[in-house]
Amino acid sequence: MSARRVGGGAAPWLLAIDSATSTVVVVAGTLDGEPIAVETFAAGHRHSQYLLPTLERLVEGADLRLDDLGGIVVGTGPGAFTGLRVGLATAKTLAHQLGVPIVGISPAEALLDAAGGGGVGPPVRLWLPAGPHDRLAVDSGVGPRRERDVPADDTVRMEIAVDLPGRAADAALERGRAAVAGLPAALLRLGARRLAAGERDDPERIVPEYVTPPRGMDPRLDLERGLAWSRGPR
Amino acid sequence: MSGPLVLAIETSCDETGIALVEGGRAVHANVVASQVALHAPAGGIVPEVAARAHLRWILPVLDEAWTAAGVGWHDVDAVAVTRGPGLAGSLLVGINVAKTLAWVHDVPLVGVNHLEGHIYAAWLKDALQDLPDPSFPLVALVVSGGHTFLAEMRDHLSYRLLGATVDDAAGEAFDKVGRLLGLPYPGGPAIQRAAEGAVARDARFPRAWLGDSFDFSFSGLKTASRRTIDARRADARLVPGEPLPEPLTAELAWGFQDSVVDVLVTKTIRAARDTGARSIVLGGGVAANAALRARLAGEAEALGVPLIVPRPGLCTDNGAMIGAAGARRFEAGERAGPDLEARPSLQLASP
Ligand SMILES: [Zn+2]
Repeated sequence: MSARRVGGGAAPWLLAIDSATSTVVVVAGTLDGEPIAVETFAAGHRHSQYLLPTLERLVEGADLRLDDLGGIVVGTGPGAFTGLRVGLATAKTLAHQLGVPIVGISPAEALLDAAGGGGVGPPVRLWLPAGPHDRLAVDSGVGPRRERDVPADDTVRMEIAVDLPGRAADAALERGRAAVAGLPAALLRLGARRLAAGERDDPERIVPEYVTPPRGMDPRLDLERGLAWSRGPR
Repeated sequence: MSGPLVLAIETSCDETGIALVEGGRAVHANVVASQVALHAPAGGIVPEVAARAHLRWILPVLDEAWTAAGVGWHDVDAVAVTRGPGLAGSLLVGINVAKTLAWVHDVPLVGVNHLEGHIYAAWLKDALQDLPDPSFPLVALVVSGGHTFLAEMRDHLSYRLLGATVDDAAGEAFDKVGRLLGLPYPGGPAIQRAAEGAVARDARFPRAWLGDSFDFSFSGLKTASRRTIDARRADARLVPGEPLPEPLTAELAWGFQDSVVDVLVTKTIRAARDTGARSIVLGGGVAANAALRARLAGEAEALGVPLIVPRPGLCTDNGAMIGAAGARRFEAGERAGPDLEARPSLQLASP
């Protein structure tokens, strides 16, 4: 089961994990963001079951070693909470245990980048599901907004939609599929850029980007406080 | 002390727990970050809040456990993790951290049933304690905010469920009635404190015996409590929002607690007699209740069967209890694969 071996001296590599959409992406690349090996799977509700076996397959299949890992890129959302938590629990534990830098990337930003909307000019608008009924809009260069907060905007250059069958136009869904196909490379590209610029996230603190507060949640909730520690017998 | 050194992770509900346990008995570290204060404003556990807090705090808890332990990864023989029952979003944080740790450090992974963890807490000993292990056959009563059941064990990892709650868990009933009495969350400690001050002990709440069965029911008690509290409020001519006078709160808290304790203890003692138990184990967060401990201790002694109750910090959810059960499973040759899944409705005796 181990991917750690002694000896060697192979080139360091990057690992990117995104589990924000229904397609889980696990990709290995060079430090400058060129893909080496890609594994994807349709998660359904099985992110937790399949992510680690997929990671093992990626590492073994590409003959990589965890000891050579040079950085981790992880999708932080917005997206489905369950998937994001599985991806982040795995990525942050890897970064923490191996002592390698980790950076969070918005998969929406990566999808826009993959669809060619990352540059200047009129915005490209990405639609993502927010629960079973609502949608989130992410315009290139603008953060996620609930559908009802998004003004009608005729300067939008094109729309792409991910994970919204029956809830978006066919052309937008088709562009969404193409963007998902380009997601592994885009994650690596954006992550490699942040890492090369010396940016780092704290593996202990990195959590999903939560756009919607859950039902029953206290609006004053502060995860940084309110924990009572018991340190055991010593 | 010897046997496998297990790093154990518990995230099934609202406590993030990581422990290092040797041989299923010796606790080298047992760190718990409890979220009670995060859930108090809602008066109960909000699953989404719990999942978020686990993911935020699990690595600091891991660091803290290592700081306390005085051992290193090269000493660890297995990683054990709660796979169920519990809240799906909470379970999967612990499971994915555990899988990743097992992969990175190349150690076997073992899945543990949270319910058996509460029983195996009875084998845990803090440093230098020299207590006897529970002997088989044993009867275990596990009572908490999430579970209430009686089980028989004739050997390690072999469980026969004798009875369980058919509606609310006992701890849940404490929370709900505590709220009706205007007491703070969680209800268990608050009701115990209030009941200790009771001068009048006349309030009599119903007991749900459910015939000869070892099952429990607390929803009728909850309804009866509400009726009694409303009637006493009306007698005292209290306007809505006006708190109950303290002596009345104390008397009603005592009456409610007495009903819960009476049913739990009576059924446990009968189960011990029926099965010829050689020890009785009490576990779960409600095991911290002093009235329950005292009454069960008295009746167990009268029956001549030793009662084993872990200290309160090992009765509430924690990693050490998962390490205790995980060590047994590891020694029995059990191994989980990297595809280990959360099982939110896992039963005690199911595979
Ligand atoms: Zn529990």
